[in-house]
Amino acid sequence: MRPTATPHRTATVGRGLFGGLAAVGRGVSGGLAGVGRASRLGVAAGRSLGKVGMWAPQLSPQMARVGVASVPIALFIATFTGIVMSLQASYTLTGTIPLYFVGVLVSKTMILELGPVLTGLTLAGRVGANISAELGTMRVTEQVDALETLAYDPVAYLVAPRVLAGTIMFPVVALLAVTVGIASGWVAALQLLDMSSAEFVKGLRLFFEPWDVWFCVIKSVSFGFVVTSVGCFCGLSTRGGAEGVGRSTTRAVVASSMIILFLDAVWAAVLL
Amino acid sequence: MSIEIRGLRKSFGEKEILRGFDLQAGENEIAAIVGPSGVGKSVLLKHVVGLLRPDAGSVVVDGTTVGESHGSALADLRRRIGYVFQFAALFDSMTVAENVGMGLRRAAGWTPDRIRARAEACLAMVGLEGMGSRRPADLSGGQRKRAGLARAIAFSPKYLLYDEPTTGLDPVTTTSIDRLMLRMRDELGVATLVVTHDMTSAFRVADRITLLHEGRAWFTGVPAEVRSSGDPVVRGFVEGDPGLYYGTGAGEPTAGRPR
Amino acid sequence: MDRRRDALVGAVVILGVLAGITGSVWLASGWGSDGQPVRAVTADAGQTMPGAAVKFRGVDVGRVDRVRIAPGGEAVVIEMIVRPDLVLPAAPAVLLAPESMFGDWQAEIVSRDDFPGRVFLERPDLEALPGATLPDMSRLTATADEIARNLTVISDRFRIAFTEETAENLRRAIDNISALSDGLAEIVDQQANRFDDLADGVEQSAQDLGAAARAARLSFERIDAIVQNADVEAMVTDAGAAAANVRTVTEDAGVFLEDLHAAVQRADSTFARLDRLMAAAEAGEGSLGRLLTDPAIADGAEGALAEIRTLLADIRENPGRYLRFSVF
Ligand SMILES: Nc1ncnc2c1ncn2[C@@H]1O[C@H](COP(=O)(O)OP(=O)(O)OP(=O)(O)O)[C@@H](O)[C@H]1O
Ligand SMILES: [Mg+2]
Repeated sequence: MRPTATPHRTATVGRGLFGGLAAVGRGVSGGLAGVGRASRLGVAAGRSLGKVGMWAPQLSPQMARVGVASVPIALFIATFTGIVMSLQASYTLTGTIPLYFVGVLVSKTMILELGPVLTGLTLAGRVGANISAELGTMRVTEQVDALETLAYDPVAYLVAPRVLAGTIMFPVVALLAVTVGIASGWVAALQLLDMSSAEFVKGLRLFFEPWDVWFCVIKSVSFGFVVTSVGCFCGLSTRGGAEGVGRSTTRAVVASSMIILFLDAVWAAVLL
Repeated sequence: MSIEIRGLRKSFGEKEILRGFDLQAGENEIAAIVGPSGVGKSVLLKHVVGLLRPDAGSVVVDGTTVGESHGSALADLRRRIGYVFQFAALFDSMTVAENVGMGLRRAAGWTPDRIRARAEACLAMVGLEGMGSRRPADLSGGQRKRAGLARAIAFSPKYLLYDEPTTGLDPVTTTSIDRLMLRMRDELGVATLVVTHDMTSAFRVADRITLLHEGRAWFTGVPAEVRSSGDPVVRGFVEGDPGLYYGTGAGEPTAGRPR
Repeated sequence: MDRRRDALVGAVVILGVLAGITGSVWLASGWGSDGQPVRAVTADAGQTMPGAAVKFRGVDVGRVDRVRIAPGGEAVVIEMIVRPDLVLPAAPAVLLAPESMFGDWQAEIVSRDDFPGRVFLERPDLEALPGATLPDMSRLTATADEIARNLTVISDRFRIAFTEETAENLRRAIDNISALSDGLAEIVDQQANRFDDLADGVEQSAQDLGAAARAARLSFERIDAIVQNADVEAMVTDAGAAAANVRTVTEDAGVFLEDLHAAVQRADSTFARLDRLMAAAEAGEGSLGRLLTDPAIADGAEGALAEIRTLLADIRENPGRYLRFSVF
């Protein structure tokens, strides 16, 4: 007895639709649960800041790993971004717009957007993945459990110094990146655009406001916090061997990149 | 000074691992827990240091209910417990000596020099003298296990939990580890829980042996009682006879039987 | 090893913070630009801000250092730093004007001799060059919009006051009043004997009424004449059309159509017509002026018109300043 085609297809469509809805539901509730657990970790990390003796010795090495080691890649990206901004700005600003707007464009975009966000995204890959893989491996090889049995608080010992280091070092790296980006844009303007230094600097100064720098700092502080705490959260919640470590690393990078872009929009709406 | 486990229950999702497990271990006593792979021996041990929290029942160590203590009370308790992980769980970002000294670092009165000396002494106790400056990755599996043991005894704990300390070691090293366990008991008077598969080792060191089966303490007795037990499960396990142990006659657990 | 790492961390942190602080201070203050100070005084700073360019014959010669209100509050002092080697022209003055559509302004050092028609604010007591401010684009649109609104009000008032129907009603009312007073007089004559005492009073009233009716008719005829006067009629319709035209110009100014030239011409003819209308209103035998119950409207429109004319002249001379473009 062959089933007729129609009910069969209806059933498939129904199942597909139902499956899709279920997937959405699972995704939403899973996402919310993740956010809840991550914020609990954040609260625990905040509370563990009281245990200075636990995290303080770890802070400097973490700052070196999170910040100092990220300087080369951040500056590399900033250098080329500055050059590209400069060239593209001159391409866009044709005709009646004075050329010194190249300076305006380079400095404004570097300070407000590209400096903090590109640095944030780069470090999300570099630092977030690193933290997540390290803590994930420690989790699956029971090193986190071992820490606990030695009376260490894993949150204070592992999470707090990393999050603190990220929160301190991201703005530092971003400021360096902004400086180098503007400088490279300047050099490109001089060498490739026949602009004078005076013109470029005029553009830099024309719309500069000290608040812009604060904006950049606030943004990268939040990015540093997000990248490191998401990295820690994904790492510590790793399950199941090498595959699990790989999965949580990917998750850390994707989630923190998404949160960075989301926060970017939020800050722009709230602070500008 | 004792470890008391009463009616311990633990499930992971649908899977019931422990279903009312009872066990006591006092001062100067080594209690061995035996059972086939996957019955929940490691899960049981993790309850004793509070790495896992029971669904029901209680674990009381040194008068403290582990499952209900938090923060500094739990940390205090953990300083009195040494835990030897089944897979060593050495911190691979540190040298072996740093691993061993890790638990001492935050304790009062332990200068870096004293910690170094203590780490060297503990490594010597497990036969790893001179290996302190190596990285865990550069050790063999057995060496790693012994380094983990050194780390657990570094703080001179009152309680020692060994998760399969001799599995995968050669007979000579096994014997020396067994002697070390006995020495810790006799010299420091520690209460010991040792999880093992190795019946020879269990008979050698244990004051009492508990067979973990179906989530319960199926059988508890001194080694002589275990040897002479008529219980098919105990006999099946001691003699290594799956048919007896699983009671199916087929020699395999039903679920794992190949088709 | 640890010490070196700590030192490296410290160095990077200090470098980053230093880059942020010195960069901000440098960009915000304009370090490294020395020169001679030049001061000018204007009634209004427009959008001139510190950092704005100072130009001389179209060449960038310095920047605005500070903008402050003069003591007493009646003027604005623009303090500029210009090239030390700049030689000021004869009868120097400073013209503040928009530099581009981005709202940045420039201060141009000019010679008053080249701008005979322009009024510069002079305050010798402040030791500053005389200055003047060109109206800015946003003010043009605002004024044009205001004029358009005022013109609409005026033309509406004209229309309400002078419909044919109103005139007809008025005429009929006056006829009625005079017929009534005639009839009353007649009755009084016939009954005079019987109501001697009363009659005197009524007679008087009737005559008063008649006089009132005549006066009313007289003034009505004057209004009537104005209504039927073709000039005024044209003026009224003109005012409506002008209002609509100015609106178009306002919108054009807002969005800046590509054809700026056409818009300028259209605006020009509109303003020429408006101008004539205003002149007629002012001269218009007084009657039109009286009808404008709110003289402030006329005054405001006059002032706005003058301002727009200045701006239109500027647009024609420097269309580049007002061209629209988009970057972001
Ligand atoms: N965190 C966990 N989540 C889910 N299941 C777990 C968890 N830990 C252990 N289990 C399950 O509990 C069961 C018992 O695990 P356990 O590690 O205690 O076995 P064991 O008795 O130590 O075995 P072995 O002798 O091989 O080490 C296993 O089936 C394991 O899959
Ligand atoms: Mg195990």
